[in-house]
Amino acid sequence: MHVLIVEDEASLANELVHFLSKEHYKCDWASDGREASEKIAVNLYDFILLDLGLPDYDGLDLLAETRALEHDPAVIVLTARGSLEDRIKGLGLGADDYLPKPFSLLELQARMQAVLRRKFKLKSSTVSFNGYDLDTNTRRVQYEGNEIMLTKKEFDLLHYLVLHKNRILTRLQLTEHIWGNVLEDDYDSNYIDVHIKNLRKKLSAYGPTDWIETVRGVGYRLTA
Amino acid sequence: MRLQSKLTLFSAVSKIIILLVLILVLPTLVNTVALHNADVRLMEKEVRMYDIIEEEGIESFITEETGNAYGSYNLLKEDFISLEEISSGRVINSIENSLRKVDGEVVEYRVLSSTFDLGDKRYLLEIGRSLATIGDNSQTLQRYALLFLVAVVLLTVFVDLAFSKILLRPLTLIVKRLQKIEHPSTFTPKPLNTSTDDFLYLNNTINHMMGQIQDVFQQEKEFIGNVSHELLTPISILQTRLENLLSDPDTPEPLLEKLVDNLRTLHRLKSIIQALLLISRIENEQYIKNDSVELPALVNEVVEEIKERAEVKQVEIQTDLSGVYHLTHVNHSLLFTMLFNVVNNAIKYNKPEGSILLAGKPLAKGYELCITDTGVGIPEDQLPHIFSRFKRLHAADGESHGLGLPIVQTIARFHGIHLTVKSTEGQGTTFCFQFPKQR
Repeated sequence: MHVLIVEDEASLANELVHFLSKEHYKCDWASDGREASEKIAVNLYDFILLDLGLPDYDGLDLLAETRALEHDPAVIVLTARGSLEDRIKGLGLGADDYLPKPFSLLELQARMQAVLRRKFKLKSSTVSFNGYDLDTNTRRVQYEGNEIMLTKKEFDLLHYLVLHKNRILTRLQLTEHIWGNVLEDDYDSNYIDVHIKNLRKKLSAYGPTDWIETVRGVGYRLTA
Repeated sequence: MRLQSKLTLFSAVSKIIILLVLILVLPTLVNTVALHNADVRLMEKEVRMYDIIEEEGIESFITEETGNAYGSYNLLKEDFISLEEISSGRVINSIENSLRKVDGEVVEYRVLSSTFDLGDKRYLLEIGRSLATIGDNSQTLQRYALLFLVAVVLLTVFVDLAFSKILLRPLTLIVKRLQKIEHPSTFTPKPLNTSTDDFLYLNNTINHMMGQIQDVFQQEKEFIGNVSHELLTPISILQTRLENLLSDPDTPEPLLEKLVDNLRTLHRLKSIIQALLLISRIENEQYIKNDSVELPALVNEVVEEIKERAEVKQVEIQTDLSGVYHLTHVNHSLLFTMLFNVVNNAIKYNKPEGSILLAGKPLAKGYELCITDTGVGIPEDQLPHIFSRFKRLHAADGESHGLGLPIVQTIARFHGIHLTVKSTEGQGTTFCFQFPKQR
């Protein structure tokens, strides 16, 4: 998977490249609009992570250029500017997703996977782990053919853990993923603990749950 | 009251007052004039009488047979003339009212009395005109004068009305243009076509000031954009760097906890900046209001999103929503945040086994939604400050930045929603949103 990162801030771009390379993405970096424009024209990217706040270029022009490409890469707009989503939609440009800065790397990865699944219509929407099957389209969880009823938040939580299996997820990252669409006064990690507790209780009626690991003082990890 | 109505009213009232004064004064005035005219006529008659006497001699009027007196009056007793010889005495030359008996009837006359000497005799000439006749004339005169005055007053009031309407047309136009503006950013300066300097000055001043306000808004908009970029970019870098460290298998375990602590602090910083930016952007009208929202549906959406938090805190959410209310030209995600924040507070500050009631009903002028909790309540002395930024009321966890309620209020104001709070300490708090009637 070939990704172009358009970001004028070198440190941030470095972190993104570092993270995505470990996730087996092949990364290119363009630090300004001119360079990005050239790279887009020459290379066939599958994914473009686009920061609209560029020093030399109107990010919206760049977005329009990517939209005009024949092979139609997936575009996620990264921006520190709020209410831009409305403007882009108003201009009929339309990115595949929008992620306001600052964002969590794990959230970015989850969004990228969701966009890929949607855009390239991956055949299988089922993820299997430790004997469980999780269908992201129908939002159903089964253990050896038995369906387990989960609430919306519990499913989201499990899905996120599965997506980032063998990786430590902090309570904060989980909270931001589940409640990310509301701007909160404060953050209460207690909710995540209760959801995990309920999730374990529901799953344990069907199969083992020792793969949901509590990392003391940090968060949770799904081992598979 | 509009200026034009005031001007017209003032002109009408002042004219009516003048009219009333005239009506009061008119009888006296007309009577005086009539009397004066009558007097002049009497004096003319006197002169003519002297002429006749000189021509024809006094003998043709006064002889021994007539008893040294002559009297003549017309049939209706309106006028009389009398001549008589008097024993010499004082000279009389006067005009006054006096009662005379004519044919056994007492009539009040305006009488001119004058003495003159002819030969060695002195005569008294009296010419009279009945006051009733004079009065008749003056009444007719009064009636016509009154009609004329009323006509003149009505005419001038209408002329004033029409003229002030034409004169004030530029002002009406300015007011109309101002009424159309919902926010200074939607104002476009327009010239005014008038020869009245005051209105030109007013229009130019408004255009100028609006321009200044728009500049300030534009500057603030740019400032918000820059601040959000300049502040949020370093936070982004820090966050991604910490997350990369966290996911690095080489990072030793004891360090993980410290990293999480740092991420939490960073999150706090991020949410404060985002909350402040949200408030500023709303106040700067950077959010577009073009969603349509149905009211009970939005409340149910919020409840659906938040009910698991309520379950965790063992708080029961009840809804009592009647009627359907359509909101147009609103921002859906802002309204969602507004209600979410209030319900979230109601959960956070509730007692275990407590409850939250969301009650909505249509009003004659819109829709009212009240969110009542059975929580700790807000002390009376803190109630006026709950919408002030950075006033932390409960802050039991120490992580609350105290911007939740200011955000709620800013969103409500942005949508013209009237927000009221009632609270009894120890019993609970009620937030009521009054959604305005849709245009």
